[in-house]
Amino acid sequence: MIALIADSGITLWFDRVGPLHGWAIATAVAVSACCAVVGTLLVVRRMSLLGDAISHAVLPGLVVAVLLGAQPGGVGVLLGATVAAMSTIWFTRFLFRHAGLWEDASVGVAFTTLFAAGVLLITVSGSRVDLDPGCVLYGILELVPFDTVSLYGWDIPRAFVSALSVLVLVILGVWCTWRWQVFTAFDTDAAKAAGIPVGGVTCGLLVGVSLATVTGFVAVGAILVVAMLVVPAAAAERLVHRLHHAIWLAVLFAVVGAFGGYLLAWRYSTSAAGMMAVVLGVEYLVAILIAPDDGVAARLVSKVVYLWRVQCEDRLASLWRAEESRQLVQEGGFAGLVTSWLCVSGQLRKEKNVFVLTPQGRVHAELIVRSHRLWETWLGKHVDLPVDHLHPPAEWIEHHLGEQVRKRIEDELGNKDIDPHGSMIPKEKP
Amino acid sequence: MIHMTALAAFIPYNTLVVAAGVAAVGCAAGVIGTFGVLRKRALVGDAAAHATLVGVASALLLTGQRDLAILLVGGLISAMVAIAFLVLIRKFTRTRDDAAIAIVLSVSFGIGITFISGMVSRGIPGSGGLERFLLGHTASLTAHDATLLGAVSAISVLCVVVGLKEATMVAFDPDFATAAGWPAATIDFVLVALVAVMVVVGLPAAGAVLVTALVVIPPAVARQWTERIVPMLVIAGAVGLISALSGVMISSLAVQLPTGPIVVLVATSFLIFSVFLAPCRGIVWRTRSACVFPSDSYDGNDTGTTADTVTERKS
Repeated sequence: MIALIADSGITLWFDRVGPLHGWAIATAVAVSACCAVVGTLLVVRRMSLLGDAISHAVLPGLVVAVLLGAQPGGVGVLLGATVAAMSTIWFTRFLFRHAGLWEDASVGVAFTTLFAAGVLLITVSGSRVDLDPGCVLYGILELVPFDTVSLYGWDIPRAFVSALSVLVLVILGVWCTWRWQVFTAFDTDAAKAAGIPVGGVTCGLLVGVSLATVTGFVAVGAILVVAMLVVPAAAAERLVHRLHHAIWLAVLFAVVGAFGGYLLAWRYSTSAAGMMAVVLGVEYLVAILIAPDDGVAARLVSKVVYLWRVQCEDRLASLWRAEESRQLVQEGGFAGLVTSWLCVSGQLRKEKNVFVLTPQGRVHAELIVRSHRLWETWLGKHVDLPVDHLHPPAEWIEHHLGEQVRKRIEDELGNKDIDPHGSMIPKEKP
Repeated sequence: MIHMTALAAFIPYNTLVVAAGVAAVGCAAGVIGTFGVLRKRALVGDAAAHATLVGVASALLLTGQRDLAILLVGGLISAMVAIAFLVLIRKFTRTRDDAAIAIVLSVSFGIGITFISGMVSRGIPGSGGLERFLLGHTASLTAHDATLLGAVSAISVLCVVVGLKEATMVAFDPDFATAAGWPAATIDFVLVALVAVMVVVGLPAAGAVLVTALVVIPPAVARQWTERIVPMLVIAGAVGLISALSGVMISSLAVQLPTGPIVVLVATSFLIFSVFLAPCRGIVWRTRSACVFPSDSYDGNDTGTTADTVTERKS
């Protein structure tokens, strides 16, 4: 039954979207998954800029391969692009070592040069290369379904076939060399010492990047493929801490980006590749907002939680002090947010318009007051401060002292039980 | 003078003015790029350059005018926003710098492409011409536009000349500059803003994708020939000027030819030539040991140690 509904739903959707859009989306999904897998390794190895360089530099390789008679989307083009990508890396290293340039400047020189050469080759060779300089920049995803090959009687877009085969190749490559990749990514020197062929691992990764890039190139162009390589990986890296989780999450982000980008672009009739980069950018923004350990939201929440805890503890402590000096709290029916929360959590009780500490609340309040007065006593003993200056620092630190620290301070003070203001220091309850 | 008149008889006045304007842009970009490269900001300029498309497209959309000045102001605003995003990502997240640059660059370019492509498909007048900002196309510039570009470049260079001492101090040792009581952060901001201005006025000459070459390659060439800042600025300016000028001249020969790639390739050929032949630093000189540096301990890189060079020296 469920299968039937799902099936008819997919069929309906497919009828509505049409097979051409279906193929374009499928190609985009395959390409972005491919880029996300290698991109994650690239980002954790701090080589994002090489991804940028490679994506620009595959252009001349592509053009030369086509000029030499390779089929667009075929093995020859993949080969040409990989050679071009490797030569960019060689060129970058050459400039870095022999021209006294920093890494970023070397990358900047290398990729602009190779990209310029590619554009010039396209313009000069005219109609012999079926590439438009504009399409090189932002891809021709919408036209992908029209260039098909016949496989077992099916007309399948050439770009989809090559994207799928590169995806399989990349996944196999990463899976087979997984332990090496992880070791090299996290500690290159230790990996080298352990006998892992670090150079080979890096080289393999770069070949994977150039394969992913060249398939992405046809679909989304030279620059937006950088978004596919780096953005999902950077977003995933903020959310999880294990590398294999990051890869899965990056692939998920990439697939959502491809789907969402294509559908939005179709809805608003604009460039699919551009919209995919926009969706990926939004995903990254969301990721840095909600990242659990250092995200903007996490920081805000922890700050609010802290302020709230301080308010609650201050309220408990003030009630405890009032009880100690046998004043009745004359607040009448006032119950602010803090007080209501303390009532709900069972630390306060309302008795005839007066708030009283419950046993549980009293224990908590005693700990706060104990921390406060211990600290005042300690300051009075060790720091030459006037008695009326002891309160403010204690008011702050009372929320931060743990049981062990309190014990240490107490031992150090020699079990004194009166603070400098003459009040009794409450004892720790077992 | 006679030569100039004779030249003007063959080349239209407009072409001459455009060539002069773009040459001024190339020169200024070389000079200001020197500080960018010294502060290791080569690719910050690249991210800003890719972001200009959004601003250019939205300026056209908002004002409906195709005036170059308005489009470039839009581009400058979006370039500065991109730089602000880079700073924010660096400050508030643990995303590494290289990834941050790649993210800002590609996503802002994606937004730009989405804008332009959407405008073209809705037939908004003038949106078709935005494509020339991608790869640069000086043939469509008017004399008025070129005068504007030249003037902005001249003012930027003037800023650097006036504040040469301050800029040099901050470029080489920002910590010392701060400690000595200079407003290092402000000077640094001005230098970054000038790089953004250069990237924007370089748009018609080289296009959003390649304009970063105008601020990176000439300083890299100059670096091969000298160790001092003033000669470096002069050489970078000259290389930028010659590259931009050849770009304009060669691309005016054929209608289809975008200017950007030619500018870049001319500049790179200067660089290759210098890397091999520059006195003392050049590869040819070093292999002939005709140099004051002992060749076995000098590996050609004195710009600081990175992880790579450290490991190489160890091994």
